[in-house]
Amino acid sequence: MTTVELLWNGLAAFLTLCIFSFLYKDNPFYKFAEQLVAGVALGYWTMLLYHTTFTDKVLIPIFQQGKLHYILPTIMGIMMWTRFSKKLAYLSRIAIAFYIGVGTGVALPLYMYNYVFRQLQATVVPLQFSWLGLNSLLMVSFVTCTLFYFFFSKEHKGTFGGLSKVGIYTLMAGFGASFGLTVMGRVALLVQRIIFLREYFIALFGS
Amino acid sequence: MKWHEKMLNIDRRWIYLILGVAVIVPAVVSFHVPVNVTPEVRRVYDFIEDLKPGDIFYVGIDYDPASLAELHPMAYAILDQCFRKDIKPVVATLSQFGAGMAEQVLSEVAAEYGKESGIDYCYLGYKPYPAITIMLMGVDFRVPFPQDYYGTPIDSIPMMRYVHNFDDLKGVISLSAGTSSEFWIIYGYGRYFMPLALGVTGVMAADYYPYLQSGQIFGLISGIKGAAEYEALTEYKGEGLKSIPYQTTTHVVILAFIIVSNIGYFASRRSKK
Amino acid sequence: MGHSQKESVWGSCNLFSRKAILFSLTLLVFFNFHLKDTQAHPLSPPTELFAQDTPNDHGKSISLNWNLSPDDGKVEGGVLSYEILRSTGLQGVFEVVGSVPAGTKEFTDQDTALVNSHNYYYKSRAVAVTDSAVSEIFGPVTPSGQWFHTGKTSVFVATLLFCLIIIVAISYAKRGGKLYIRPLAGINAVDEAIGRATEMGQPILFVPGLGEAYEVATIAAFTILGRVARKTAEYQSRLIVPAYYPMVMVVSQEVVKSAYMDVGRPDIYNEKDIFFVTQEQFPYAAAVNGIMLRERPAANFYLGKFYAESLMLAETGFLAGSIQIAGTDEPIQIPFFVAACDYVLIGEELYAASAYLSRDPVQLGTLKGQDWNKLAIVILVGLGILTATLGFAWFINLFNVNI
Repeated sequence: MTTVELLWNGLAAFLTLCIFSFLYKDNPFYKFAEQLVAGVALGYWTMLLYHTTFTDKVLIPIFQQGKLHYILPTIMGIMMWTRFSKKLAYLSRIAIAFYIGVGTGVALPLYMYNYVFRQLQATVVPLQFSWLGLNSLLMVSFVTCTLFYFFFSKEHKGTFGGLSKVGIYTLMAGFGASFGLTVMGRVALLVQRIIFLREYFIALFGS
Repeated sequence: MKWHEKMLNIDRRWIYLILGVAVIVPAVVSFHVPVNVTPEVRRVYDFIEDLKPGDIFYVGIDYDPASLAELHPMAYAILDQCFRKDIKPVVATLSQFGAGMAEQVLSEVAAEYGKESGIDYCYLGYKPYPAITIMLMGVDFRVPFPQDYYGTPIDSIPMMRYVHNFDDLKGVISLSAGTSSEFWIIYGYGRYFMPLALGVTGVMAADYYPYLQSGQIFGLISGIKGAAEYEALTEYKGEGLKSIPYQTTTHVVILAFIIVSNIGYFASRRSKK
Repeated sequence: MGHSQKESVWGSCNLFSRKAILFSLTLLVFFNFHLKDTQAHPLSPPTELFAQDTPNDHGKSISLNWNLSPDDGKVEGGVLSYEILRSTGLQGVFEVVGSVPAGTKEFTDQDTALVNSHNYYYKSRAVAVTDSAVSEIFGPVTPSGQWFHTGKTSVFVATLLFCLIIIVAISYAKRGGKLYIRPLAGINAVDEAIGRATEMGQPILFVPGLGEAYEVATIAAFTILGRVARKTAEYQSRLIVPAYYPMVMVVSQEVVKSAYMDVGRPDIYNEKDIFFVTQEQFPYAAAVNGIMLRERPAANFYLGKFYAESLMLAETGFLAGSIQIAGTDEPIQIPFFVAACDYVLIGEELYAASAYLSRDPVQLGTLKGQDWNKLAIVILVGLGILTATLGFAWFINLFNVNI
């Protein structure tokens, strides 16, 4: 590590320790690190948005390339800002309506295909006497029971109640898997910082 | 306080301390933990391994520094495999804080193999609104990205000369920590049907297995374990494999706490009866 | 097309291959070498080039295919690649617009320079190491966009039916038709939690999530907030609502105020208890955690959109010993609420609770319509398994999309 790298990594190590200090209790070091990251993030994002959206999609097309039809979406964008004025707030609704209308139109058939058609095709498997067949049968049963759990037109009593109970247990098993994987994810965050600190201190003091 | 109540009410600072010790142990005492490769990770590896030199493959670095721990090792291992096989990656990011990070990983791995920007790889940079950007990339990369990250017009980049949209790529992998993964399935695969694989964080993994089974994605790398599996396959020495001993010790401690608190819970229920 | 190679219509040989021919002739004259074979069999061009507008797209695309050159696949002197050349006129200049490796029979020209409703002419050229051969010209062909994607008819019909069912259910509800919604255990839990808080003389905390006021989950949260507010007004308990968006604060204030007025207790409504905190995720979570530790609410409600802060909030509430009821349509966050809360409205149950409480015809109709759609899916799965087991693939193929 060069001296410059050592200094930058030193700052990163210091800020990591500042955040870790919250484990004991809230303190000025933690607050400093937290507010620093919020400020840096906001500044970075503003700069990035200016370059990747405003320059690329407004300034260059309209003023350099003369694509005047880009003025229309620019006006719509400005209309979004009228939400901050009580008098002109109604204008923002036009832009929002356009955005939501287009978004729904594009999304609806895609959602139907990806969430309904493809999942339905994946669930439909011919019955067969094998381990794979048993696996498929279990999957179909659990999918059906879960759908029954989210069926609100019939009270969960008797056989239907029993099936929907299987549905909720299926959901809980899924949540358990999700929770376990989350623990792994959170530990990974901690481990990555520990590895970073270890390598920094080795570079600083030698192994 | 009875023994079982004590088991249920362990001061959280003790938990932090014990967990802290468990994390530090592998840093002091090194030991090896074997990694089993799952089929969904192997499929991603095999897919890239079967590509020919010169083929173009899209790698999406769609995460921000908060998910760096889990997804960065995947990015390193995948790009390393691409460059080793002379496959040309097109890289872009749909995460606002991913632009600098993606540039760092790409240029670092490219430098190791002496690869040149514009000839051996292309870095497009960042664009907001992931769903719209994905759909526009399906029309032509030039629409959302008129120029690359360094300001070169796409038409002037040699490797992008005949590359217009997903039809001209061999496949796509998106490494994502948020809704981008879902957008890639719906607006990318669902509209353009290109071969798609995902790398996701541990938190998201369980939600993406149904897409694997339905064939909407051909492979899935999940969390740090997935990253370690990929490193084991590519023999890339990265953070994934390095973190597995740490994961093992901490998981043992967490499991111990779960067992202790469950014993406490059931004992206190029995004593209440 | 700044980089395309230009070539006139007559010339199939480029500079490189012309040099090669000259070189071959020189060899023939001086060494009388057996080059006769090569001359007798010059590189054969690809045949039967065909081009058409790419179907089911937005235009600006032409699909081409051809029969491979007989020299494709030869080890020596065989075809290396095919170049696709395009011109706007039969006698015009042909530009290279694409190149594909040997063995490839098709190409889609999606060049940005293509204009809908304009005529184009194409040639395909087989390229070897020292030679090249051009096919006959094909054209004119005109790119155009289509309004309807015939390959996705099944998706269109299904989407139409899905929407129709929901519209019918909503209009039935609007006309006063009775739609049964089963009672939800979560709603009883809400009443019970408020009762307990009143007994303890402690306030109630209602967190409407991190969603904007127009999001479905937040709208559902407002309906449940109305119910909670009516109960707190009846029991004269204190209700605290920290908001993430200013608009959510304004709507929450309106909802709570009208609930207090309905019960006839506008005097005990305190606007200051429904306040805006911040629009930053983790500072918001920290602030709400602070409220939990300072005000010690007996019951906490987390209803609406939640993200990574879900566990932080629910865990703090759990440690503070509050009764907790949560509900969100963010599937990733539900496990955290399940782990730390007493009752959780899972996904759609949040909307169902809202519809049940509000009896709003749009919400009721939508919920009912979705139930019918779910039933249709269960029936389709059953039929699919039956037909697949009997060996009929046509049924499941109905759900295929052809691109």
